[in-house]
Amino acid sequence: MPNIVEIAVSNDAFQTLVTAVTVAGLVEALQQPGPLTVFAPNDQAFAKLLPGTVDTLVQNIPQLQRILKYHVVAGRYTTAELKDLTTLTSLEGSPIPIACGDIFEVKNATAIASDIEASNGIIHVIDTVILMG
Amino acid sequence: MTTTLKIPPSTHPYAEIIHRLEAGGSMLPDTEENLMQIIGIYKAYAVPMDFYWRDLLYIAERVFLDPLPFFKYFLPQEYLDLPNHYAGETADFRVWQKGEASAHPELLEFMDKGELKKKLPKLFHHLWHDRINMEFAEACMRAMLWHQGMGGLFYDYLESEEYLGNCDRAIKAYFKGNPLMLGLYKLFPEMFYEKVRELSYYANLGLFWEVMAPVFFEMSDRYDAGEFKTVPDAMDFLVNGIFIAAGRPIYHHVYIGDQCYELIPKSKGFMWLYEAALPYVEAVFYRTAPFRGTKSYNAQAQQVPADQKDFHYGILYADVFPVGTAGIPPTLLMQDMLHFLPPYLVDYYQQYCRGEDDMLIQLGITFQRSMYNVTSAVIQALRTALLYPLDDPNPEHLRKNRQFFEAQMDRFLRPEARLNDIQNQDYR
Amino acid sequence: MLTPLLLIPLLGAIAVAFLKPQISRPLAALSSLASLAWIIYLFTQFNLQSGAIQFSEFHRWVEPVGLNYSLGVDGLSLPLLALNSLLTLIALYTNRNNLERTRLHDGLILLINGGIAGALMSQNLLLFIIFYELELIPFYLLINIWGGEKRGYAATKFLLYTAVSGLLVIVGFLGTTFASQSPSFEFTDLQVQNLDLIPQLVLLTILLIGFGIKTPLVPLHTWMPDTYVEASPATTVLLGGIFAKLGTYGLLRFGLQLFPTAWQTIAPGLAIIGTVSVIYGAISAIAQRDIKRMVAYSSIGHMGYILVAAAAGTELSVLGAIAQMIAHGLILALLFFLVGIVEKTTGTRDLDILNGLMNPIRGLPLTSALLILAGMASAGIPGLIGFAAEFIVFQGSFMAFPIPTLLCILSSGLTAVYFVILINRTCFGKLDNSRAYYARVSFSQQWPALVLTAIIIYFGLQPNALLRWIEPTTTPLVAELHSSIIALRE
Repeated sequence: MPNIVEIAVSNDAFQTLVTAVTVAGLVEALQQPGPLTVFAPNDQAFAKLLPGTVDTLVQNIPQLQRILKYHVVAGRYTTAELKDLTTLTSLEGSPIPIACGDIFEVKNATAIASDIEASNGIIHVIDTVILMG
Repeated sequence: MTTTLKIPPSTHPYAEIIHRLEAGGSMLPDTEENLMQIIGIYKAYAVPMDFYWRDLLYIAERVFLDPLPFFKYFLPQEYLDLPNHYAGETADFRVWQKGEASAHPELLEFMDKGELKKKLPKLFHHLWHDRINMEFAEACMRAMLWHQGMGGLFYDYLESEEYLGNCDRAIKAYFKGNPLMLGLYKLFPEMFYEKVRELSYYANLGLFWEVMAPVFFEMSDRYDAGEFKTVPDAMDFLVNGIFIAAGRPIYHHVYIGDQCYELIPKSKGFMWLYEAALPYVEAVFYRTAPFRGTKSYNAQAQQVPADQKDFHYGILYADVFPVGTAGIPPTLLMQDMLHFLPPYLVDYYQQYCRGEDDMLIQLGITFQRSMYNVTSAVIQALRTALLYPLDDPNPEHLRKNRQFFEAQMDRFLRPEARLNDIQNQDYR
Repeated sequence: MLTPLLLIPLLGAIAVAFLKPQISRPLAALSSLASLAWIIYLFTQFNLQSGAIQFSEFHRWVEPVGLNYSLGVDGLSLPLLALNSLLTLIALYTNRNNLERTRLHDGLILLINGGIAGALMSQNLLLFIIFYELELIPFYLLINIWGGEKRGYAATKFLLYTAVSGLLVIVGFLGTTFASQSPSFEFTDLQVQNLDLIPQLVLLTILLIGFGIKTPLVPLHTWMPDTYVEASPATTVLLGGIFAKLGTYGLLRFGLQLFPTAWQTIAPGLAIIGTVSVIYGAISAIAQRDIKRMVAYSSIGHMGYILVAAAAGTELSVLGAIAQMIAHGLILALLFFLVGIVEKTTGTRDLDILNGLMNPIRGLPLTSALLILAGMASAGIPGLIGFAAEFIVFQGSFMAFPIPTLLCILSSGLTAVYFVILINRTCFGKLDNSRAYYARVSFSQQWPALVLTAIIIYFGLQPNALLRWIEPTTTPLVAELHSSIIALRE
């Protein structure tokens, strides 16, 4: 089974995410056995950010890492398991509110694909880059 | 008002303002007069701010733990020339298109001649208080230091072993060959750590304002060029600026001799938005502390809130009228801004109230208006970052936005808030 | 020597009334300045060795009636004359902005100046009455035309009370002259000692009530708060500053000086009335919510001191009484002047609304500072004229009437109470945001207050500069009083 990074790279919808993860030097971390749960914003999600936001982050690696880590949770959480939860704690340290019912919402993002199994975790695709706060 | 078509109108006391925010507006009504006032005051604010951020960094990085910092407000050339990261040729991200990266010319002229318009030795200008009132910047810094726990990871880091280890190295290097201070450090290490924490907030605020100064200059330039037509234009520019600067690093480096000590390294990933901007807005715009010299409060009679989070002495609640007493931070700022008002604002103030005589109050009220606009930008930025677009088709999302706006407006329900006053042009 | 003090204001009044407003205004000021200058000249000519009437002028006028044009001044009237002209000048510059019908206004004020000067100088009882009644009409008009909301009521009340006062004085004077079979209405010709004690007492009582209304003394004061509050600031400055002093002047001149024996007999009663006035005035002032009314009631209290001092009849106390007339005239004029500025600028006199006027940028800092100083002067803070006068009053009266004096001292503490209330509410605290768009008070509106303040401080530090003019007159006055007591005892 492919790992998280391999799934992302193989999918055209995650080009920005893959670039960001590469620039931030987090590729290795995402290849660890984990398991990890990744809320992966697709390219449209990054495109929704205001202009300049990504440019600045790409120039400031530790800050970029922090934003990316906010999209990752230790452990493997499927939608079935998330049904009973309201928050998860991200690797960044801040909580991520979760609402998993008829619609699966991660903070202000909506999941457009969920429970994508990887060898070292699980991926939920979201339509918005989530930010701490 | 697309939103109100999809969900029922708000019943909040500030419903009108909430609907305006939902339509992408500002808490400040969109009038030409308001736009002219706030842009003018942003410019007048940016000039002293150009000094504030440079001096804050100078104190944090160079003066450091000088036990007798008599000359901490005497900015060396090196820091006047310190390139702003957002302006000039060398900028990482060039927000300020026309200006230079070094100190603003109006600031240099004022530092040279002061209000007296006479070239005197720097020390005389200093003692005569004919200078930029850095005390205001320090008051803001202290507000941030004192009101902890406003989000971000900065505060927790200041308590960490890692930070204390960094401090220890820097303190020992700084006082090398000074047995008296080293002895004191051995006896009272916590006192020294606390002092360094304060200096870290100097750096924090300095880095925050390094962004804001060119942003405000840029707004003034764009307004002069006719690019801003409405108050929301100005607000949107700020929202964009917030997102551009959001990922900038917040750090604290100390230079002792040729050596750089990284008390808070950039690699900690502290961000301009989370560790500086949001705590700043919370601490300075909303909370601060009662100013000595304006009004007496009786804590036993519960005139001062028991919880720090309920403090409401910031500019959004400020009673600008009782100014004029020496040493009150807002008055210091007004004094600073008075020196750099654009001519159109001076003409405007001449026409109202007591003209020249109460310009300090008039510009203070203008400043209050402008800060309501900045706060609106922050609220809109938070909404953008954490919630949903204003034109989201999902009513449930709009309801969440509504809840957020209403929660923000709840903070202005206390009688001290000036939100109602600034809706009216006669408040001046 | 004294006729110019009548001619200048009267001719000035006529000229002012008929000339163009641009000329009339400086002319009015000029004529009050001219009479003030003339009085200062008189001071330089005044013989300090003599307690007698000086600069006398005498012309027969209406012989059958006994009305003579007979003028003269002594240490009692000369300082009051100076106060009269000074306050006229101040009144002319009180609240000038947007004043309507300035020519009539200024003319009436000059007329009052002349009338009061005449009354103070008259050495003939009938002449005194003519002047005493003369200024009622201009005052009535000033109140009725430039007064506040209830000006009609106040003006009528004022006219009724003071007319009764005038009538009683006429009755008293006629009775005195006829009963004593004096050869004329000349003050020096009166032979009161011909009378028995009982008719003396009756006549003195009539005069006391007459002058007591004017002063005013409790319980004859009820016209006063209404009048002071409704009258315009300029009118109030004159009413409180000098007009009311005619009452106490009359008490001293035609009571104490004319009826020494009877005066001595009723002195304890007078001391009690004075003390009641003092306490009543102070306590009523504390209860007021209107700052002008508060100052008006304070005036009742401070006039009471004069009566207590006059009743005590010691050399020091009579000196103090006259000094207090001057001191109170200056302080009250300053207070009413400043209250006038506050009312004009803020549009209210309500203690509950006014606040934070000390605010250096949006408030009325100079006016407030002067108001505080005026309050301090009124409360008898050392270094200001009020202290000098009241201290002499208390010291002089204590031996004669210890308990009333102590009560007076006590209630001078109450003066501090209501002035602290007034100052704390109006000057200190937080300026009210919704109201605080007050216009600037220009220097041209304020300078009269600075003049008064300078005088109040000068005499406070140098009381002798004032007392030296009064003392030569009070010394023989009191000596006569004492000799009459000895005569009475024998």
